[in-house]
Amino acid sequence: MIAKFANWLDERVSWRQVWDAIFLRKIPKVNWFYTLGSATLFVAVNQAVTGILLTLYYVPTPDHAYDSVQYITTQLPAGWLIRGLHHWGASAMVVLVVLHMLRVIFYGAYKYPREVTWFTGVILLLVVIGFGFTGYLLPWDQKAYWATTVGTRIAGTPPIIGDAILRIMRGGEDLSAVTLARFFGTHVWVLPVTLMLVLSIHLYLVIRIGISAVPTKED
Amino acid sequence: MKEKEEISRRDFMKVATLSIGGLIGLGWGIPAIAYVVGPSLKGNQTQEWIRLGSTSKVELGVPTLFKVKVKRQTGWIVNEEELSVYALTEDGRSYIAMSNVCTHLGCRVRWIAEQDKFFCPCHNGVFDKQGNVVSGPPPRPLNQYQVKVENDQLLILGG
Repeated sequence: MIAKFANWLDERVSWRQVWDAIFLRKIPKVNWFYTLGSATLFVAVNQAVTGILLTLYYVPTPDHAYDSVQYITTQLPAGWLIRGLHHWGASAMVVLVVLHMLRVIFYGAYKYPREVTWFTGVILLLVVIGFGFTGYLLPWDQKAYWATTVGTRIAGTPPIIGDAILRIMRGGEDLSAVTLARFFGTHVWVLPVTLMLVLSIHLYLVIRIGISAVPTKED
Repeated sequence: MKEKEEISRRDFMKVATLSIGGLIGLGWGIPAIAYVVGPSLKGNQTQEWIRLGSTSKVELGVPTLFKVKVKRQTGWIVNEEELSVYALTEDGRSYIAMSNVCTHLGCRVRWIAEQDKFFCPCHNGVFDKQGNVVSGPPPRPLNQYQVKVENDQLLILGG
């Protein structure tokens, strides 16, 4: 029955071709370090799922942000779990993308013909750091508030343009409701859309070009 | 002895991947469902006796409107809400207290003294002074609160 439906669908949309290209593609003999990219993708999916769930209750205004986070953590069934997965997943993302990048560096996988994959990977690293920076403010507790005060001040250190950067990030002179709202908007709209665009190019190239083999002494 | 059935490496990996993936999916899915429907399943908050006011304010044979403030917790917000209750007595001894929420779709009904009826502005539901449906779409009479009288004060059980 299921097989029959799968065939029916394949005849019309050729999904098997896509499936084979993704999951049955040829790869060289590699080691476990080559799973770091997939591990990152897995945690990214976790961040998306738990992040969407968090927005069902979280409210990004100074008078509700902290209380709604407390409500999620202490009142809702499995709220502690959803928030915990998102919180620890965020740290895992940063660790995993860095390890993934180190693997690519040490195995020379950024070289011809994979330069563009590398460039998109660098953008993705920046996006992940952006997620971490904007997400850190959202619980609106003391740690979040002062970390963002310091973080935006650091961003404001360059000469001449520094003050403008600081004001643009904060949406004014001080950290305020405006800052919280734009950090939230960046965290749930700007960065996810950027991530999806760049990630799809990244993955397309990984599949299209194929992954590099472990380099030998002769390479 | 029967020969052992051979499982190919590919089939084993397929089953292993699907089962681990399924477990992870459940690990996300079940908490997610509990998390989403959690507040919806929470029943009414504890009911308590709310003081409407002195029984002497209730006119004989005419529904009298009482407005009381009640604290309501919704999510992480505690709000003060106004509760409107119509009290009615025919003999000054037994009282009924009716909610002003129309039983059709939840609009608020008003007592119009000249016509001796409750009217709902939304879909022309009409109730008599006991709260019984006279005309219009409401499926049942106005909800009544449990009532008690203590020291000439009228109290209702609500939340």
